[in-house]
Amino acid sequence: MNLSPLGNSSRRNLLKWGLVGLGTAALATVPSTALARSSRYLKPLTFTADDIGILNFALFLEELEATFYVLALQSGKITDRKEYDYLKAIGKHEATHVKFLREVLGYNATFRSRDLSYSASGFRAVLKDRDTILNTAVALEDTGVHAYNGAGPSLKDPTYILAAGSIVSVEARHSAGVRGLLGRPATQKPSEDSVPKENLVPSLNPFNGRAYDELYTPKQIIAIVASLNIVNNPINGALVA
Amino acid sequence: MQSHSQGFSVTSVLERISRFSTRGLALVTSFAFLMLFIVTFFLMTLFISPSAQAQSQPETPPAVLTPRQVVEYALTLEKLEAEFYRRGIEQLSNGTLSTLPEPAKAAIRSYGEDEGLHVPDLSAVLKLLGGNPDAITITARPNFNAILDRDPFANPEDFLLALQRVEDTGVAAYKGQVQNLQAAGDAGKAVLAGALEIHTIEARHAAGVRNIRQRFYGANIRPWIRKAREVDYKEIRKNSPIPFADEAFDGYATRDEVLAIVGPILAG
Repeated sequence: MNLSPLGNSSRRNLLKWGLVGLGTAALATVPSTALARSSRYLKPLTFTADDIGILNFALFLEELEATFYVLALQSGKITDRKEYDYLKAIGKHEATHVKFLREVLGYNATFRSRDLSYSASGFRAVLKDRDTILNTAVALEDTGVHAYNGAGPSLKDPTYILAAGSIVSVEARHSAGVRGLLGRPATQKPSEDSVPKENLVPSLNPFNGRAYDELYTPKQIIAIVASLNIVNNPINGALVA
Repeated sequence: MQSHSQGFSVTSVLERISRFSTRGLALVTSFAFLMLFIVTFFLMTLFISPSAQAQSQPETPPAVLTPRQVVEYALTLEKLEAEFYRRGIEQLSNGTLSTLPEPAKAAIRSYGEDEGLHVPDLSAVLKLLGGNPDAITITARPNFNAILDRDPFANPEDFLLALQRVEDTGVAAYKGQVQNLQAAGDAGKAVLAGALEIHTIEARHAAGVRNIRQRFYGANIRPWIRKAREVDYKEIRKNSPIPFADEAFDGYATRDEVLAIVGPILAG
């Protein structure tokens, strides 16, 4: 575990990195050590089936979201002022969630932000244009909602479940907000659900349909994240098995 | 991974550890006593000034509710919400809210349908828990004027503002019950799952209404809560390990706090 004495926040580092942009030429300016480290070894992300594992899992999702928004803002594809302001505010929230979860986890965090290896080609695809960026934001936020919901009943610590609750409704507001920018309804039609009704875990989903945000298992969430092709790290552990 | 694909990583620094403390739990109140309290409370709201109520609220520890009590409480709120939507939707075609833009009307009808589903679905859960959903009734004429101290159906802007407050309180109300349901263990698992499924839908509704207010009426509002004064419940909790003052975290409200807010409405 690397506890750097430096006081700078992950947010600031993300911004600093984001300044190099995502173009092919710009990628050449990413420090060669980072690329070398990534190509030599990808740290597996391990999520245990307990509160700590769930918080690490939440941290992983928040890291993805926070990084996505930094890159989305740097992409130059979001030119509308209102849309830019929304993504900026949402990105700040996600960075705050990252910071909070790292504070809560402390030494129990199983990976550092810099252990995450992102796929440049995957990010290029989701940052292709304004529509793709906003729809990816919706997909990430909806995934976050279903992930926090799904993990909620497994949490044992009362403060953790309240914290998860205080985060998940903000994720839902994000989704609805970006959906509004796209002219999409705030709630998900069943056809938009990443996990079809027949694959839902019945005990976790007493209700389903547009009027409900179904509970997805961490394993189902990992499959959704994998489909975005933006993370290279292998993922394992009892929580996602 | 494709051969040309390059990995990159984003660095960050681990933050200092801060320990969590768990919130204290209060004594269980019997259901009969509870209902007596609620009835008495509503009668009292007719005679006691709001400031007197407010002074007694912070001292009251949050009630520990059984899963059945949580469902009865949630069903009360859902019935009230559904009725609010019904009253508003009545005005959409030719009434006081007919000037709402079409996307706003569609959203309001859609959210109203969602609340309309929450009522029978929670009723079914309550039956499974041995309760009687038909016994959970609200007054035939809720005093919705209590939300803004004026008729919330008089014009689109007031309706949207009142609706935003109703939905935001709904989000906080569900959030305020997750610890009670967690504490109930296996007996609360199904209700907890159902409550979580509804909780974020209320948040989507609240954000959707906020969108409409910003987009069509130029309101200085965002889908998320930026200032505590935007909501009727206590958004900021100074002694919590959760940084509720930050807009990245939504606040919660206990049942007693929510009943203090909706009491004047339920009093009719």
